[in-house]
Amino acid sequence: MKRLQLQRWSSSVLSPRARTGGRLQQHLYYNLRRQSTVSPAPQAENEPLFEEQSLNSSTHIPQSSHFKYLLPSPPVEAARESAKLAALHARLYLPSRLPLETLARSLVDASADSNPNFNNEALATLGNDLLSHYTSEHLVCTYPRLPLTVIFAAMYAYVGPKSLAAMAKEWGVEMAAVPGGEVDPGLLQFKRVLPGTDVNAGPVTGTERPNEHRKSWRKSMTSRVVYDNEYGDPVGVSGESATPESQNTQGVTAEHANATFVRAVMGAIYLHAGRPAAKRFFEQHFLSRHLNISDLFNFSQPARDLSRLCARENFEPPVAKIISETGRKSRHPVFVVGIFSGQDKLGEGAGASLLEARSRAAVAALKGWYLYSPLNVRVPSSMEEEGAAPWKPVHVDLGEVIV
Amino acid sequence: MRCQARTTTHVTGCLDEPPNGNHETFLKVAEVRNSCHTTAMRPSLRLLNLEVSSLQGSRTLYVCSVCRQEARPRPLVARQFLRNASNATPITERVRRKIWGTDNPPGLKDPYGGEGVLERKFKKDQPARQEEEPENLAQTSEQTQVENEAELASAEAYEPATTWEGLQRVGHLGRWSDLPPSEADAYESFMLKKKVTKKGQLSLAAHQAAVEVSLMHSLNKPLSKVCDVVEHDKSVFKMLWKCKIQPGEWKQAVVYPSKEAEKALVYIFEQIGGQPESAVAEETAEEVEEAVDESKWEDLVAEVNDSNVPFFGYADVRDKGFLSLSLSDPATKFAFLKRFSQLSGHYLPDPVVHSVATVGQVVEYVQSVLNPKPKKLADYLANSQGLQNLPNVKVFTKKQKPMDRDEELGRKKVIEAELRSRGLIDQKCKRYQH
Repeated sequence: MKRLQLQRWSSSVLSPRARTGGRLQQHLYYNLRRQSTVSPAPQAENEPLFEEQSLNSSTHIPQSSHFKYLLPSPPVEAARESAKLAALHARLYLPSRLPLETLARSLVDASADSNPNFNNEALATLGNDLLSHYTSEHLVCTYPRLPLTVIFAAMYAYVGPKSLAAMAKEWGVEMAAVPGGEVDPGLLQFKRVLPGTDVNAGPVTGTERPNEHRKSWRKSMTSRVVYDNEYGDPVGVSGESATPESQNTQGVTAEHANATFVRAVMGAIYLHAGRPAAKRFFEQHFLSRHLNISDLFNFSQPARDLSRLCARENFEPPVAKIISETGRKSRHPVFVVGIFSGQDKLGEGAGASLLEARSRAAVAALKGWYLYSPLNVRVPSSMEEEGAAPWKPVHVDLGEVIV
Repeated sequence: MRCQARTTTHVTGCLDEPPNGNHETFLKVAEVRNSCHTTAMRPSLRLLNLEVSSLQGSRTLYVCSVCRQEARPRPLVARQFLRNASNATPITERVRRKIWGTDNPPGLKDPYGGEGVLERKFKKDQPARQEEEPENLAQTSEQTQVENEAELASAEAYEPATTWEGLQRVGHLGRWSDLPPSEADAYESFMLKKKVTKKGQLSLAAHQAAVEVSLMHSLNKPLSKVCDVVEHDKSVFKMLWKCKIQPGEWKQAVVYPSKEAEKALVYIFEQIGGQPESAVAEETAEEVEEAVDESKWEDLVAEVNDSNVPFFGYADVRDKGFLSLSLSDPATKFAFLKRFSQLSGHYLPDPVVHSVATVGQVVEYVQSVLNPKPKKLADYLANSQGLQNLPNVKVFTKKQKPMDRDEELGRKKVIEAELRSRGLIDQKCKRYQH
């Protein structure tokens, strides 16, 4: 597989595009504002981080403090002077090819600076796609039999906005009170929601789901794969893909801004340092977080599910047997029940009553089935590496039993 | 006279009649007087007392009547301790003999530290006066006669001047600036007028001084004589510059660039500080060379006068071997430091002179003086290269106030706008102050 020239991509993403129109205020400073990461293409592999200073000095604009107040977000040159930004760069152990200017840009939310050349929207979009891609392929290849609901929940736990916001907090990213040109570029800048605003006020509209207005209709799990986002939540125009104008007036929540920042960092790493670095960053910061997937299950009728599963997989029908018991006549009896399919014991559970023990045993059997994980897992994205071994199709199960 | 000074006020009271019905004060004053007199009459002090009063008799200090009585200079003969002045043994000795009961009492002959002031004076004056007096009288009478005659003569020749012309001029009458400068007026400083500040030139000075001192060492000549030649000729300086220094003994320290240079340098330095016989003998042989040198020298002088650059424009030394030369020998150290300060214009204080052990330390010290540490910590930190290279450290030259923190977080403009809208700050005021 041929490697793509990411540096050229990044130049197209980062270069200031011709702008058709805008508000007067933006026009005032638009001609003066430049992205210093315009031409990262000639950068060598091991070039030091501060190589671009010469490039900066050539495009340096003498600025008064008054000029800074006019900008909606810190000027690009300020990134080199911020100690916070350099500390964040070092703390995250980001590749040296990711310049401080891009890191500063990933800290500017679209609600703070609506100019797409200076906010992190594009980076966040790329980063979000990368994160969902890497997480989903990891989940599906590692646990090929997981039910879809568990996959959704695990996705949300790995790369959901709450987790990303928590990560940004752990990284020590502080938030600016109000965005502006004079603000330290090492602070996360976004326009805050006014206090008292109900964030989840109205129903989500604008999804492409048919019969959207029918609130009482059941939404099948399978349909969520098609119509909803990677967490199984409905996504509409009023949600994430709202117009910048509405965001500019309303502001965004801190959680949303933090999540967008983390996604933008992911996208920035992918653009500047390439896929291997992005993947390494993902493994180090996202997959390294412990998530106990067996806790995400929620069975209502495990015994029935198990019997259906055995019927589907052509096993002998499951039979529950008492393995041991103690204190049947006492106040606290304990029964240990095993579920057998023919000679094979599928699961075992202990409970205070026979029924409880049986359902626990069924849950254990079901978890044992669903949480199967093959050895030596390979994900499809590993084929993108240089000199990867030929791909052997991974086993992906039929999925959950549908009762 | 302590007693006088202290009790003057009281004693004024006691001299007059005590005021009626004020007996208590009178008694007190009397007590004071008694006490002062008892202290004054200690025998050891008495001598002093008397002596001082006799010396200062002309002074018109107020003395109370009793004190005056005591303090009045009395005829010396009347004094008790001089009663038997003709005796060989002084009174102290006699008292001792009486106390011990023997003619040879143990201990010092005079436990009171020798003769008293007056005794000594009396002893000295008495015989001298007796001898001198007749001669003195004769002499003084002669002198007075001569003086009188001279005075009379001058009085006859004296003619009062009507104008200042022709009068003998004594001194310069405040117009010394009009006088032409004499030889003593010209001052030529030993050291350079302008201190050398560049690092390379300091090294050059140290190198030259080291080479010259070690040359003098090897020639066994007085080391400090190198200072006689303030500035060498350019060709000589170039040879000195080319010389390398081998760390170790001063005598074998110089490594000459070539044989010719060695010969020339040895010849030149033989001449410094008095010519020994060998140099004189060879003088005739070298005369021709000297002539050539002189012609060169003239050219070079012109050049030097044009540029007037220290060290003929040389920027730095060729090798750093001289830095590790030891200055443990005091004579060498003195000669080196003298020559170094002459060449560089830097004076080294005594504690530094005492503490330096190598040539390198001398150069280091002068450089540290030239580049002193900044006094403010902020300046020091802002200038430190190590901190400037750290991207995650930012040094502010000003103290960061809460206002700066507000600006950094971006809420300053909001606060300002809010204050302005409520009329709490002036519209013209650009920034709010904490």
